[in-house]
Amino acid sequence: MVSKQDILNVLAGIPDPELPVSIVDLGLVNDIQIEGGHTRIELLPTWTGCPALEMIERDVIDQVSQLDGIQECKVNWCFEPAWSPDRISTEGQIQLKAHGVTTPGCRDGQSVELTTSVIPCPYCSSHKTRIDSPFGPTRCRSIYFCDDCRNQFEHMKKVD
Amino acid sequence: MEAMLTNPLAVLILAHADDKLLLGHVQSDWTGLGPLLEEDIAASAMAQDDLSHALILYQFLGERYELDSDVIAFEREPVDYMCCDLVTKPDEFDWAEAVVKRWLIAEFTGMGIDRLSAIEDKELAARCNRIKPEQALQIKHLQAWIKRLGTAGPESQERIQAALDRLSGLAGMLFEVPGQRLPVNDDFCCGRDEMFKAWDASIQETLSQSNLKASFALPERSLIGGRRGTHASHFHDQFDELTEVRRVSPGASW
Repeated sequence: MVSKQDILNVLAGIPDPELPVSIVDLGLVNDIQIEGGHTRIELLPTWTGCPALEMIERDVIDQVSQLDGIQECKVNWCFEPAWSPDRISTEGQIQLKAHGVTTPGCRDGQSVELTTSVIPCPYCSSHKTRIDSPFGPTRCRSIYFCDDCRNQFEHMKKVD
Repeated sequence: MEAMLTNPLAVLILAHADDKLLLGHVQSDWTGLGPLLEEDIAASAMAQDDLSHALILYQFLGERYELDSDVIAFEREPVDYMCCDLVTKPDEFDWAEAVVKRWLIAEFTGMGIDRLSAIEDKELAARCNRIKPEQALQIKHLQAWIKRLGTAGPESQERIQAALDRLSGLAGMLFEVPGQRLPVNDDFCCGRDEMFKAWDASIQETLSQSNLKASFALPERSLIGGRRGTHASHFHDQFDELTEVRRVSPGASW
């Protein structure tokens, strides 16, 4: 008998195609239902136009179907609740930061002066950062620039 | 298909979805040609968002009416496409015109989606609520462009004012009652007059901060345009391009 944990373990090994973080740590997995050999997995899209959604769906179906006792795996993309970067796990935030991508959780409630931003640079931790563009290399990221170490970095943007 | 095309709510959803589908298609022409690198990415990202918003609305209708979303998107007769012809009007790669056009439409869509999300339909509301923040980001971005171009200097101001002058007369048609199969005086559009006032107020607020002027008017209800299937030639040009692969190779995927 396959358990939810078995499936979650498989999903934890599936990375987002555009980020070095698993779809579990990114908070995409909303629900797992198992009935006999059939499983239905509810996933949340980060952004509706994310082109990685189909790849993720394919990876999930391919890998979960390989579990002994699973005859069929279906993926449903859900819009409720809406995904938010708040769903990214602590482990996921650490992995993203190492990759040069910050998350809204990195603010730590710090107050900052007008000339600096609330987003600390993932490389040098300076708050002298500013937004370059709200539209980054993927739909879920925006582009920031650090005036101290002069690196560009990316930030997972809030969707609400 | 008939049931969907004669249902007022479905028609209202289609009007927004068709705006998004055609806008995403037309705006992707700017990919690689944006005035600066960040904007090139932003314009492409917004076109990508538009297509995905169209898709999730078509999927909603597809589930309700047991139709394939691609069939809804690509296999209706042109007369049953309910987009406003402002959407497909060529901007001739004039950035001022592209920004003004996009902004006027984006503000309209934002308000339309807000109103759709308030209808008592949990599944529709979930989808509209997912579109809302993405739409809000587009509106904010486009408002920033309007302010930036309107206040940047004489040439910039003149060019964006000229684009406004060319498009302001057409923008009222965004509020045309959609659906050529429905009675023309059927006011099912979630309070069209009230929405026009709210839209106009929002537009005027940005214009007043941008050294720009324009006035807008609701079209007469008897005036028939794109939303009721009477499309300008530029719609047909875009439609032919959009549906070409589907016609050459029905059901093709890659």
